[in-house]
Amino acid sequence: MLSFSELEVFYHALVVKARDRGVACAITSGLACVAFGVSETTKDCDLLCAPAAADIMLGLLQETSLRGHWPSYRGHLSPPLDARWLGGGWTSHFVWGGSGGEAYLDVFGVAPRGTTPWEAELLGCYAGLHTVAEMKRTNRERDWPFATALGLKLLASGDPRGWLHLFNHDVLLQTADRLDCPRDMLALRPVLHLLVAGDERLEVALRGEVEFWRQLDALRIKLYERALRPYFLAVRGDSRSAAAGLHAQHAVRVEHAEHLLPARPLADYGLPRLLAEARERAARLVPVGALDWLPDVSPSFIQVAT
Amino acid sequence: MKARTNPPDWLTPEVLAHLRQVEHEFHARAFGEELARVNALPLAQRRQYVAEMVDFAQRKGVKFTKPALGVTP
Repeated sequence: MLSFSELEVFYHALVVKARDRGVACAITSGLACVAFGVSETTKDCDLLCAPAAADIMLGLLQETSLRGHWPSYRGHLSPPLDARWLGGGWTSHFVWGGSGGEAYLDVFGVAPRGTTPWEAELLGCYAGLHTVAEMKRTNRERDWPFATALGLKLLASGDPRGWLHLFNHDVLLQTADRLDCPRDMLALRPVLHLLVAGDERLEVALRGEVEFWRQLDALRIKLYERALRPYFLAVRGDSRSAAAGLHAQHAVRVEHAEHLLPARPLADYGLPRLLAEARERAARLVPVGALDWLPDVSPSFIQVAT
Repeated sequence: MKARTNPPDWLTPEVLAHLRQVEHEFHARAFGEELARVNALPLAQRRQYVAEMVDFAQRKGVKFTKPALGVTP
């Protein structure tokens, strides 16, 4: 069994080698959270990689073994590691090794909900706190405390964008007890006006905000899953998909993807439509008025929706 | 995380101490006392603790792998 420490060393070495070849990349999600002091248990590595460098990254993976094991695409649901799909918000999945000794790597080019270029704010091998925190606004209940915890880390590091990530009512009140919320943060996140005004509707508005983000994430994932299905069926039905060697596996996936996998499903669907549906679904789950202070979330999707 | 080399004016030592206190209390509520303690450890010790926790859980059959969906939540 590969230990957590061995895997960390392996993933860090991968990032260093990729950067030596000029590839902008950074570890994010769970492993980044451990490094930032918001520990969670994970062994998978989520890696952001500049879409334009997808070919170089693929070449690096092809020549990277782990305890004598070579990497493969993981299952039939993985889009090819190619700039066209990476830039459209897809994730490519890789695995090293057999039963009991696996390393799992997920590579994506666009940080989900990222409003700023992740390449601009790296912390060693990791994506920046702001990017990692934005990625925690998921449809999974367990991710939200991590967003708040990362928001506090941002504030403690002197970055006022921490205000954008505090979703816990008590934490917001406690923070505002000693710290003024800057105007530019109020403009980006209307719910903070309620905090500043001491308005008791803050708690309900926070629930509305979180539910809206959750619905957005659920709808986005459903959209991508639906778009993936014809490609998935073709890859699954093609015996060459499991060929030995990443290069051969990749060629098969590109061949099918070019015919069956839309590169930018969110752009095809339309962001306004997605936002309207998320709002409608959230409205069924929160009290009346809870969605009155939602932020403009379009910058969070601009990279994949245009 | 360490504070920036030149912290902004609003990040006084008092404000920083307050944020640390808010953070500790929140970690205890959200993640439990034990992880709140671990999260306050220096990086090397924190990594070591998480490594032991993950390896122990894996030996007991816990699976950490996420499904491969083609898209990241």
